[in-house]
Amino acid sequence: MKINILIVLSISFLIGGCATSKPPMYDYGNYSESFYAMKRNPGEKSEGEWKSSLESIIERSNASAIRVPPGVFANLGYLYLKVNDTENAIKNFELEKNLYPEAEVFMNNLIKKAETQG
Amino acid sequence: MMTIKKILRISITLAATSFFLSGCVSPTYVTKANEFPGMYTEKPRSLLIMPPINLSTAADAKDYYATTIEMPVALHGFYIFPYTLTAEVLKQQGIYDSELAYDIPLNKFREYFGADAVLFTKILKWDKTYVVLAANLTISIDAEIKSTKTSEVLWKYNGTVVVDLSGNNNSAGGGLAGLLIIAIVTAANTAAADYTRYAKVANGRFIGSVPFGPYHPLYLKDQDYKIIQQKTK
Repeated sequence: MKINILIVLSISFLIGGCATSKPPMYDYGNYSESFYAMKRNPGEKSEGEWKSSLESIIERSNASAIRVPPGVFANLGYLYLKVNDTENAIKNFELEKNLYPEAEVFMNNLIKKAETQG
Repeated sequence: MMTIKKILRISITLAATSFFLSGCVSPTYVTKANEFPGMYTEKPRSLLIMPPINLSTAADAKDYYATTIEMPVALHGFYIFPYTLTAEVLKQQGIYDSELAYDIPLNKFREYFGADAVLFTKILKWDKTYVVLAANLTISIDAEIKSTKTSEVLWKYNGTVVVDLSGNNNSAGGGLAGLLIIAIVTAANTAAADYTRYAKVANGRFIGSVPFGPYHPLYLKDQDYKIIQQKTK
């Protein structure tokens, strides 16, 4: 009986071990495709698609509880900065800085720029 | 009649010759820590990707490279500064399309971006070759990671990658009709916008020998990983 329980336990452990696959490190969605499209055909349309691609990366990452990839918040903030929405620009630069302390110097420079612009 | 001694002598010579010949093609393996000690002593956390210097004949290589390089480096564990922004800033400084950046003291990048290290790349070759049933993308790249503290080279790479663009899809069936389908699939694949996917694959292979960065689970655990030693030019 005891042995049976042990076997069942070890089998379920094995199966469980196989089934747990690690989540991907980042979910980039169609980041490079929309980035490339924007480089190739700069304009409102491709920039809009780039923006929604960034927003969808953030949504999808949050939904699957993984870290938003480096630079996504900063890219989004920059799009807001370009249309003079300084409030949203600064908000996103702060988010980038909080998520990645490595970005602090650059984000502070961009925030300073946004503040003088706004 | 051959004596045993003679036979032995001949086989030893043959063995030595074949050993020598195979020695010419087999690569030398080294550990990451031996090859790139600076990466482990300086432990850079953030990388600034410089716009590539494009020496290939493909004018679009720069865009393909630029839009696909961030991901593999980030997935390798480093903080990557957003390329659209940094390229814009560098452009304003007049260093977008030239080799000028090589001459700028690297601590400037530390001051403005807070970057620990800078990734320089030269695209030497970016060629699509079409044969009847397949298409290949051949990419030759020279790359360097340099410290913004000491300007020392922490990592370098020079090499060529060939990516098969035909998608490894041989499920089209046998016979001439099958061959034709593969050919059409190949042409469609290389023409489509998902070409960035292949550029991504090619770009991703270059960074295999880079020690992992701080956001990777193997950060500071890959010192003993074996890599192929680079030929010094």
